[in-house]
Amino acid sequence: MFNFRTMAVIKRELREKIMSKTFIIMTLLLPVFMFGIMAFQTFLLTYDTESNAKLIIVTESPDLTMNLQSDFSQIPIVKQGKYIITFQTLNRQRLQELIAAKKQEMLDDKLNGIIFIPSAALTDKKIEYYSKSPSNSDLFDKLKPTINQALVDGYFHGKQLSQEDIEYARNRVDINGFRISKDNEIEETNAGARIISFVFAFLLYFSLMFIGMMMMRSVVEEKNSKIVEILLSSVEAKELMVGKIIGTAVTGLLQMAIWMLPIIVVISSSIFVIPPELIPNISIGQIIYFLFNYFVGLITFLGLFATVGAIFDNDQDAQSGIWPIMMLIMIPFFISISMNKNPNSVLANVTSLLPFSSIMVMPARMSLVDIPAWQFATAIVVNVGMMLLIFPLAGKIYRIGILLTGKKPKWGEVIKWLRYK
Amino acid sequence: MHVLEVKGLSKSFDKIKAVDDVSFFVPEGSVFGLIGRNGAGKTTTIRMMMNIYEPDSGKVTLRGAPVTNEFKQKVGYLPEERGLYKKMNVWDTLMFFARVKGKKGKEIEEKANEYLKKFQLFTRKTSKIQDLSKGNQQKIQFIATILHDPEFLILDEPFSGLDPINTDLLREIIIDLKNQGKVIIFSTHLMDFAEKMCDHIAMIDEGKIILHGSLKEIKTKYGHRNVNITYDGSISFLNGHPIIESIQDFGNTTGITVKEESQTQELLQLLLERDVKVRRFNANDISLHDVFVKLAGDKDMEVANV
Repeated sequence: MFNFRTMAVIKRELREKIMSKTFIIMTLLLPVFMFGIMAFQTFLLTYDTESNAKLIIVTESPDLTMNLQSDFSQIPIVKQGKYIITFQTLNRQRLQELIAAKKQEMLDDKLNGIIFIPSAALTDKKIEYYSKSPSNSDLFDKLKPTINQALVDGYFHGKQLSQEDIEYARNRVDINGFRISKDNEIEETNAGARIISFVFAFLLYFSLMFIGMMMMRSVVEEKNSKIVEILLSSVEAKELMVGKIIGTAVTGLLQMAIWMLPIIVVISSSIFVIPPELIPNISIGQIIYFLFNYFVGLITFLGLFATVGAIFDNDQDAQSGIWPIMMLIMIPFFISISMNKNPNSVLANVTSLLPFSSIMVMPARMSLVDIPAWQFATAIVVNVGMMLLIFPLAGKIYRIGILLTGKKPKWGEVIKWLRYK
Repeated sequence: MHVLEVKGLSKSFDKIKAVDDVSFFVPEGSVFGLIGRNGAGKTTTIRMMMNIYEPDSGKVTLRGAPVTNEFKQKVGYLPEERGLYKKMNVWDTLMFFARVKGKKGKEIEEKANEYLKKFQLFTRKTSKIQDLSKGNQQKIQFIATILHDPEFLILDEPFSGLDPINTDLLREIIIDLKNQGKVIIFSTHLMDFAEKMCDHIAMIDEGKIILHGSLKEIKTKYGHRNVNITYDGSISFLNGHPIIESIQDFGNTTGITVKEESQTQELLQLLLERDVKVRRFNANDISLHDVFVKLAGDKDMEVANV
């Protein structure tokens, strides 16, 4: 099958694709884009923290006011002057007057709000917040622990409790996650694993879509511009299809390998100073598996994309005919990115072994949990098997479709092509 | 032995029988014409000859052996609908089409340069196809068809869509290749053209071969009661005349069939008696068009009259 004709087609595809501006720009820009998004997200999070706020805290007892005042004076956002909090001791009736007096300020966003801590809060911890936008969770996340601390102190004050007891009551539950794996020692799960899982899923999704569509368009172009008729006077339809797919798949593999480089550098050297919780826990072997799995998946999907391209003779029709294949890429992608809450769910387990979906779910899963060897083996066998199954069928449809022009064929007719000689 | 032989080829698409038990042969060193209306089955037959389509039944033999992909290497094919990769440059295009035919290296590069010079495209070597004019794209297409020095040239409606300059250019190439002893196979619906260029023909209609043989033989066979005339004046008096079987007006010439061979002289006499100025009188001559109409009936005309 790999005769000079197929080689000529492969060579042409490689030249056309690797030398194209789109390929070069994509290859370089995607990592930049991805890191950019992450940096942007971090920036947004920190930006939010640093926003200023002006608040009035009102209590019904001078003791509580004093406790709050001293507790708040120690938290960083107040120290840095980002949150300006004034304290008053008023009863509920006077509070209404204060709210009325400050109403305009609050509506003008000069004052974020008034927090009222009634004496009853010392037993039921219910406090009130008056504001233009009372559901600002970010603000509460920052204030709640300190208010809670003051209330706890007030509640236990005068009771026969040691300082340690109070300390214990004050503490919040702190969860540290530990990842259990078979051969490694117990280690803390880290954000790195989740990031890499997402990166894997995203790269696979993006690349399969991008390269697949490129393939489809190139087949439609050949068909549409009638080059295919000349090509087929020299090469067989099967040789042409195999040549195009191999050429395109090698291009894709090269691109993916380039995208893997930063990850390989991060895990195998200490050039980058990265916090330990962000270092992804994957091995070179897993990256090799990832690339192999990608290559097999790419060839399978390219077979499908090429077939759809061959069925239709213009881009619009082809776009509308491609959705079943898009679903095969999109659904596994959504499973992959929503899986990091529970990578061992039945859904995650099953889809990481099914044809098509395992191409994406398995790599995303392997960076979150340890995958038993038999599952890796099954996924490989299933995917390679699917590839070998798809190819002859795709080849048949391609061979017939590529020379038919005019009327848009119905799916029923396409099925019939499989029976043509 | 015939260089190419087609035996009992059939091909159906769904319920439509595109080619139905087609047989003909192409003699060595001939210019062969596959003639028929649009949609008669010419392109399907050619595709089967080149192994692009697999026939439902029948076979194609090359010097007695079944055609394989090897045949593809020896063929230069110019389909009716042509195309090139728009974003590829001229040189890469030529080299690619040579490479899929198994040709590469210095020899082919020299030849490509030679052709580019001949067609005045040498300076456009690095231009992208899309930047060339339509006429120049056609030239590149010819070069790509013949660059690998094919033994067979299959040309499907070769002159459709060509400008006059490229028409002459292609005709020149064809004559040149004919003189080199290549086998040239035309597929065309232009009878007039086939008559001028071909020495063997096969006529196909509704997927069936209706006539096959050398042009000379065909003309003798069908021409013996036929007269081709060019004249000034009116010949309407011939309509319904007892010696006349049919009259076909082709504009410049008129084909007249008499009922018996001996009546051709009578016809000439009749014309002279009626003061028709006869400028040409070809007895025992028949145009391919006439033959086709005789055999297939003038269905196009019928359609046009409806």
